[in-house]
Amino acid sequence: MSEEVIKKPKYVEDPNSAKSKLNKITSDHYSNLWMAKEKGEMIGWCASNFPQEIFETLGLTVCYPENQAAAIAARGAGEKMCLISEGDGYSNDICAYARVSLAYAKIKDAPEQNMPQPDYLLCCNNICNTMIKWYENLSVELNIPLVLIDIPFNPDYNPSKAEVEYVKNQFLEAIKQLEKITGKTWSDEKFKEVMEISNRTSRAWLKATNFTKNTPSPLNGFDLLNHMAVAVCARGKIEAAEAFELLAEEYEKAVQEGTSTFRAEEKHRLMFEGIACWPHLRVTATELKSRGINMVATIYADAFGFIYDDLDGLIEAYCNVPNAMNLEHARDKRVAIAKNTKAEALLVHTNRSCKLWSGFMYEMSRQIGEACEIPVASFDGDQADPRNFSEAQYATRVQALTEIMESNKGGK
Amino acid sequence: MTKVNELLEQFHKVAVSPEEQLKSYLSQGRKVVACVPVYTPEELIHSMNLVPFGAWGAEIEVREAKKYFPAFICSILQTTLEMGITGKYDGISAIVIPSLCDSLKCLGENWKYGVPNIPFIPMTYPQNRNNDNGRAFTKAGYLRVIDDLEKITGKKFSEAELAKSNKVYNLHNQAMRRLSDVLVEYPWISASQRNDIFKSAYYMTKEEHTTLVNQLMDLLLEMPKETSNMKKIITTGIIADSRDLLTIIGENDMQIVGDDIAHESRQYRTDVNESKDALEGLADKFSRMDNCSVLYDVDKKRGDYIAEMAKRTGADGVVVVMTKFCDPEEFDYPIMKKKFDAAGIPSVLIEVDMQMNNYEQARTALQTFKDMLN
Repeated sequence: MSEEVIKKPKYVEDPNSAKSKLNKITSDHYSNLWMAKEKGEMIGWCASNFPQEIFETLGLTVCYPENQAAAIAARGAGEKMCLISEGDGYSNDICAYARVSLAYAKIKDAPEQNMPQPDYLLCCNNICNTMIKWYENLSVELNIPLVLIDIPFNPDYNPSKAEVEYVKNQFLEAIKQLEKITGKTWSDEKFKEVMEISNRTSRAWLKATNFTKNTPSPLNGFDLLNHMAVAVCARGKIEAAEAFELLAEEYEKAVQEGTSTFRAEEKHRLMFEGIACWPHLRVTATELKSRGINMVATIYADAFGFIYDDLDGLIEAYCNVPNAMNLEHARDKRVAIAKNTKAEALLVHTNRSCKLWSGFMYEMSRQIGEACEIPVASFDGDQADPRNFSEAQYATRVQALTEIMESNKGGK
Repeated sequence: MTKVNELLEQFHKVAVSPEEQLKSYLSQGRKVVACVPVYTPEELIHSMNLVPFGAWGAEIEVREAKKYFPAFICSILQTTLEMGITGKYDGISAIVIPSLCDSLKCLGENWKYGVPNIPFIPMTYPQNRNNDNGRAFTKAGYLRVIDDLEKITGKKFSEAELAKSNKVYNLHNQAMRRLSDVLVEYPWISASQRNDIFKSAYYMTKEEHTTLVNQLMDLLLEMPKETSNMKKIITTGIIADSRDLLTIIGENDMQIVGDDIAHESRQYRTDVNESKDALEGLADKFSRMDNCSVLYDVDKKRGDYIAEMAKRTGADGVVVVMTKFCDPEEFDYPIMKKKFDAAGIPSVLIEVDMQMNNYEQARTALQTFKDMLN
């Protein structure tokens, strides 16, 4: 008598779901790049926070070394790529995204996430000055032109008029440089259209991410780390606006129905600070989930939500990205997010790759903890180099936070 | 010779005991403003009758600063913050911190909370600097520094005084450039003594320093030039003032014949064009600065610049003095190394920080390098 084998039904993703549409935008992003390359179009490599309105208006095809490095690291090849750069004389102190990217520029193949080689580079340092050094080196190694929009770190609460003027003039100059490099032409009408779509996408993205304020949250906060790729690479595209609008609708429905993509009982609500620890994403997520901790707050949501009315507003938005802000402004933004989402603890990723993000985080996280009356713990990790993370240390820190959150609840 | 030694001793005393200089200025009733690297506009401070005082860290243990900085921030900034927190800068009116690298941005933010008794004045420079837009932004940054200095110290700024200070600094630049060349002919002046001359400039007014440097050069030029069998080297990096390292350079019969050290000659390469309005002139000066890891350079000419310097000075090799955790320098290194190799210039990388108490690795590397040069 043969034994009957009961197979689990294969999971089929609903092609009309927001997740499916967002995943398609990401996969189309890469396939479109290859098609463009094959057609002989020029390809740009672009910093994640370079004003995308410029190249969307010009109709240029660009891709993002930061996204690529994160994907390569998440798929297990961060160390392999870092070692290639280190072999070429790059210190292991240098940002691991940069080490992965410089290695890719050299060997031109990473099955974990390939993308076409660039014909020009678009750099913006509103997230860090490391971008400048990384792109300078790419430009020299690949012998291709580099366009830099310099957006300095702002030591005051808001950007000064002088800064907005300085950045605006560079924005206009970058358009001229790109017209010359690519032969494409600027259209004010198209620019207006791109600005409208970008605002629509940003509004939808911010609306969707804001659903984490509900208890329980209709989403696992780690979902945002995946969707963020679309907020980076397709903000100016109508498909992205529509997919995020659909995502927000789904979350709204989930709130009404009491469902969530967080597949556990939401016992605790956490704010996560810093770039994801991509090489150990599963471990970092599972450790939280197994304790019923959902990540409901992160500055990431704000990082790619650009809302503005006109060119000056656009420039100010790019001057006001989280890593270009002074401590007080950065703190207040986070305090508002933590309070809005009712976060019960702050877990800080002291990211070995990111001096700017980690360099004044001790003081800022102390202030956030005090303002929100929540416990704070940090762990050592890295956005792409797996060697800088200890699972045991992470577990211990998460455990400590859990105990305090439990104790706080018991005391209430 | 006695007089030369006296002058060298004078530079040495100032270089190794900046706290004495600070006390002295404060006791004279002078107001002092700390200047953090890399390109703080000292001319502005000087023109307002304030004493610019270098803050490049020190070889001290870091304890308190660890509450603010993670371990992977360079020791220059860790120890600068440590000195602030532990009261070593007490009496100073303000600190100017330019944000030319990511760690410098963090120093400013941490300073506000770690050292609340010494006001932080930010200086924001443009990277796209060599055009009218960049110069206008530099000028706006300087106006902000002036405004803060006026509020904090009660002193007043004037273009006329700045024009005088620009001249004082130009004369000092010229003296320091000449000094580097003159010292090539006097190899018995050690790497440590050379560093004393450069380092002391941060703790004296530029008028005083220029006078002493010119006196030294006049005396030296009266003496016969010497040749030696020492190996001639160029140093490059952010700072190379470690006594241990400089002693090892000397022990290995190496003479520094030129440098691309931010703490040394990088400060003195560019003069203010005195035919321009004073503040415009100062902004124009920054716009023309180059060949430095914290200044954007799409062509990355720094390696060629050093190779050319090596050629001009007859250097046998380049010693890259890498400040640990300085990523701008770490990014430049592989590109520079290629340029050195292409030009047939031997080079060696020595990693240093201000907490190092064991220089054996550096010693071995330099001994091997010397053997290679032989």
